Amino acid sequence: MSTITTASSSSTAAATAGAPPVRPRRRRRPRHGWATAIAIVFSVIWIFPVYWMVNTAFKPRPEVMTTTPHFLPLNPTFDNFIVAITQTSFLTNLQNSIIVVVSAVVFALALSLFASAALSRFRFRGRRAIMVLILAVQMLPGTALLIPQFLIFNNLGLLNSFFGLSLAYVAAVLPFAIWTLRGFFITIPVELEEAAMMDGAGTWRILRSILFPLVVPGVISTSIFAFISAWNEYILAYTFMKEQAMYTLPIWLVSFSSPVTGTDYGGQMAASVLFALPVVVFFLIIQRHLVAGMSAGAVKG
Amino acid sequence: MTIASTATSVAGEGVAAARPGRRPRPPRRYTPQARYAPLWLLTPAGIVIAALIVAPIVFLVFTSFTDFNQRTLFTGEFSFVGLDQYTKTIASPQFWWSTLLTLGFTAALVIGSLVIGVGVAELMTRLGTVMRYVVTIVLIFAWGMPNVASSQVWNWLFQPGYGVINWMLTQLRIFGDVTNLSWANNTFLALLCIWMLVVWQAVPFIALTTYAAQTQIDTSMLEAARIDGASEPRIYFTLVLNYLKPTILLVTVLSIIWDFNVFNQIWLVTQGGPNNTTATLGIWTYLTAFNTFKIGTGAAISVITTIMLMIISGFYIRSLLRSGEDL
Repeated sequence: MSTITTASSSSTAAATAGAPPVRPRRRRRPRHGWATAIAIVFSVIWIFPVYWMVNTAFKPRPEVMTTTPHFLPLNPTFDNFIVAITQTSFLTNLQNSIIVVVSAVVFALALSLFASAALSRFRFRGRRAIMVLILAVQMLPGTALLIPQFLIFNNLGLLNSFFGLSLAYVAAVLPFAIWTLRGFFITIPVELEEAAMMDGAGTWRILRSILFPLVVPGVISTSIFAFISAWNEYILAYTFMKEQAMYTLPIWLVSFSSPVTGTDYGGQMAASVLFALPVVVFFLIIQRHLVAGMSAGAVKG
Repeated sequence: MTIASTATSVAGEGVAAARPGRRPRPPRRYTPQARYAPLWLLTPAGIVIAALIVAPIVFLVFTSFTDFNQRTLFTGEFSFVGLDQYTKTIASPQFWWSTLLTLGFTAALVIGSLVIGVGVAELMTRLGTVMRYVVTIVLIFAWGMPNVASSQVWNWLFQPGYGVINWMLTQLRIFGDVTNLSWANNTFLALLCIWMLVVWQAVPFIALTTYAAQTQIDTSMLEAARIDGASEPRIYFTLVLNYLKPTILLVTVLSIIWDFNVFNQIWLVTQGGPNNTTATLGIWTYLTAFNTFKIGTGAAISVITTIMLMIISGFYIRSLLRSGEDL
């Protein structure tokens, strides 16, 4: 919108200087008051669930359940957060989530780095078939992998273990990571590779000294998307992990009930804030790259 | 994986790569090391994909021909039942209900989120800097919320008794006193509630992607149409939407795949209830395989669902291949 202000200010400046008014280079569409009005209504509706979550989280227990809801907490308090953190298995489950998700993402990214290099910088027979396979497995319905993985892991004694869940997350994240990272590899100009080849660098040397360093931004953004999708994953963890001590955070959030009463909505909303906050903050930080990254990955939510 | 046989033909690739629209690559002098490089690079990921994705899928199909159940989990005993699981599945009314529900609900979700998302993108082009920024931030909040958390929030918003939505509806005085209305206990209301939840989270991606594409449109074209006296709606529907076609097509296909697979939101709001009437194919598979432990039947439903989804997404893969995208 800065163009509008510069255009109009330059034309008024020109008019006051007595020169013939300069026609702004681009005439803008007329701006409508109703657009702003609709935008305000839309924003209020769309932010309401988030606002209500935060609002409830800060209410003391008696204020949560009232026949007339309060739209602001009368006596804001951190009690719900303190209860959620100290009186539940939050810290154990947070630790579990971090162990499982980080190991899965690191493992998947290491594998996908090599695989996507092969699929982008080399041409060989069967490459297209592999790409189609990788694209297709990303479109499998969740239960298609859940059932057989459950049976196989049950036989191998991998249920209710971090290793097993981590492997399942690797399977969920790897195709997406290969596909996305490949997009980053493709943007590296071939000339760089050729120059290195002229200088006598071997394949491994080219990969290590030229391609891998250049693809670091891609590795970072792919890891972020992989991390978020594994962090939010619920149904695999819910099916595999049978003890509270092994739960990851999403199961903790769903099974949340205060030790004091039954369903404690204040506590549950505080827990939701705790769980969602890191992801939402991350989205806000990287918002500029979100659209590009999502369309590059293009398949996995 | 058939990588072993694939890496050997690299020498002929100079010819293969010279297709139009693809950057021709100079022939390389391939050392034996380079010839087999793709093989070495692909092997680790190939093994993992074969072991964790391909083998399980094969095992899923195998399971769907057996009577795997809870007993099998402990004893390992099972017997082959041929196509029994499939005939039983197709004969069950729940299967047809779930199929219709999945298709209908997917259509409702895709249409709802596309109309609102594309509308919001157009709205954003007509806003000042501040308001556009506000809308972007609001969208990112809805987008960034993990769906497990947003489902919990939904349960609280629509909670019978103290939920704020019921309170607001009561204040409207149109529906009478609905304070204790239980959304999850009525099929239509439960679906409506889940629909709002999924659309709420789907709109941001669609709106921001479409908006990004819309800012790339050459405005002089629209300008020309405006000078020729075209009305704003006419310009939007004939010109702008035409420019946005590729973007809208992409987000439509992605939305279809995502919405077909919606699981968490339905599971966390209704668990498929009341009476399995909100059980889409995914939910019904899960209930069959893990609540009643008829794993063989669950596998059969899962195979059928996979085939359905593959038929739908096959169009997408085919169009990707056709469009000359360099796979």
